[in-house]
Amino acid sequence: MLFSVQDLHVSYGSIRAVHGVSFEVDEGEIVTLIGANGAGKSTILNTIAGLQRPDQGEIIYRGANLARMDAHNVVKQGVALVPEGRRIFGNLTVYENLRLAGFQVSRDDLEARIKLVYSYFPRLEERRDQLGDTLSGGEQQMLAVGRALVTGGRLMLLDEPSMGLAPILVQHIFEILAEINRQGTTILLVEQNAHMALKLANRGYVLETGSVMLSGPSKELAESPEVQRAYLGG
Amino acid sequence: MEFFVQQFVNALQLGSLYALIALGYTMVYGVLLLINFAHGDIFMVGAFLGVFGSITLDLPFVPTLVLSMVLTGLLGVGIERVAYKPLRQASRLSVVITALGVGLLLENGMLALTGANPRSYPQTFITTRVYDIGGVAISNVKIIIIVLAALLFAGLYTIVQRTKWGMAMRAISYDKFAVPLMGVSQDQIISLTFLLGTGLAAAGGILWGVAFPVLNPYMGLRVGWKAFVAAVVGGIGDIRGAAAGGLLLGFIEIFVPAYGDSIGISSTWRDPIAFGLLLIILVVRPTGLFGVARRQKV
Ligand SMILES: Nc1ncnc2c1ncn2[C@@H]1O[C@H](COP(=O)(O)OP(=O)(O)OP(=O)(O)O)[C@@H](O)[C@H]1O
Ligand SMILES: [Mg+2]
Repeated sequence: MLFSVQDLHVSYGSIRAVHGVSFEVDEGEIVTLIGANGAGKSTILNTIAGLQRPDQGEIIYRGANLARMDAHNVVKQGVALVPEGRRIFGNLTVYENLRLAGFQVSRDDLEARIKLVYSYFPRLEERRDQLGDTLSGGEQQMLAVGRALVTGGRLMLLDEPSMGLAPILVQHIFEILAEINRQGTTILLVEQNAHMALKLANRGYVLETGSVMLSGPSKELAESPEVQRAYLGG
Repeated sequence: MEFFVQQFVNALQLGSLYALIALGYTMVYGVLLLINFAHGDIFMVGAFLGVFGSITLDLPFVPTLVLSMVLTGLLGVGIERVAYKPLRQASRLSVVITALGVGLLLENGMLALTGANPRSYPQTFITTRVYDIGGVAISNVKIIIIVLAALLFAGLYTIVQRTKWGMAMRAISYDKFAVPLMGVSQDQIISLTFLLGTGLAAAGGILWGVAFPVLNPYMGLRVGWKAFVAAVVGGIGDIRGAAAGGLLLGFIEIFVPAYGDSIGISSTWRDPIAFGLLLIILVVRPTGLFGVARRQKV
């Protein structure tokens, strides 16, 4: 098992956002967590990334427990979060955003990875000296994914990459994610857009108010009546 | 004409000194949204470490300058770790009060250590020479101060604009949340910011002591406040703004008394006029010369 979360509990003060969530991701898989507003999806990803401390539970990646690790050390382990809302540094250029993501990366690896990012997203190369603030939403999402690649993440966590983007752009970005996955990056994708997520992912977990309600291969989930009713407007 | 050139050089000298000190305020504000009210007193410590280097250790100018910058820089890092870091989640007011407390501690600590008599550097620290440049007499001290300040600023600007450390500093000032996700330790960047900012204040302190050789433990109060105002007028958070604000203040402070008499303004009006002009700039441009409106962050 490449990655597993066991019995995770996270709270904000007295608000218990996640209670007892467990799931697993195998090497090379694309796994999705789907759930409505406030289900606890971002809390789970932020906790994995080390931005939030869990009350309880284990987060195991390649045998190491990430549960008490600082965020910048989680990155060193090879786990990269593409956060909700993209969080591009608007006062830095596209190149500087990528350069910064390579903070812990050697000079040679850095140039190679930035080249790789430009090959997935040629738009970013055209815009390399433009400030992050001036990019469109889609370009910002590409840059956010690009930064995660530059950190050297072998497990990429994506928090609602489709948020606020036109369907055609979402389509495009998901195709690139599939390609990134084929090249060896494991993906854990959080989405409200269950339709797109289940099409891309091998397996999925359905999250409701801080707990896993359902899980299984994407096809089965897409056909299950609960998912149809709650997330696919069926 | 000769008078004008001399005043121009004086203004550049004073402005460069304000700028060196203003940089520390602006850098710390940029990464922490904290106004380090102890910064003026850190400047004072830097100046006194110059006394320690030049008199106690009998070192020449450059080693003394480097020694003071390094030690003061480490002091700044230490102050952040001990006094400010535990308050990262605390209210603004507690941090401001803590900073003022640190300042008092430094002033009174220095008073206890060195006594109330003003200090100065030895005559041999920089041997004064006066050059005749196109008929205008200019001392080497002024040239050294202006050139050194410009070099230090250029060095800092290069770090901030060109290195990954500088990118991290700018990134923190934009959005703290995502910085650790880039593999960057926020604590490290904050320490670096204090190291650079207080190191520059130390350089300012020593150069100040060379230009105006009366050092006392309270010298940081007035100078610190003025440099802070310069940082705000320049646009706090932007290092070009700190440089511009410092120079502007230097020019106003020199030129008002230099030419005020001839139009009937007494030189006691220097400070009111200087701050009045700066206030007008802030009314016209509330974010300062180089400032951009900050997005309200939660
Ligand atoms: N910083 C916070 N302080 C207090 N409560 C929070 C905080 N962040 C999230 N919560 C609460 O925790 C719960 C889970 O929130 P979370 O953001 O993880 O949900 P989500 O599934 O990502 O939702 P969305 O689809 O809207 O992004 C919600 O009830 C939310 O109100
Ligand atoms: Mg969310």
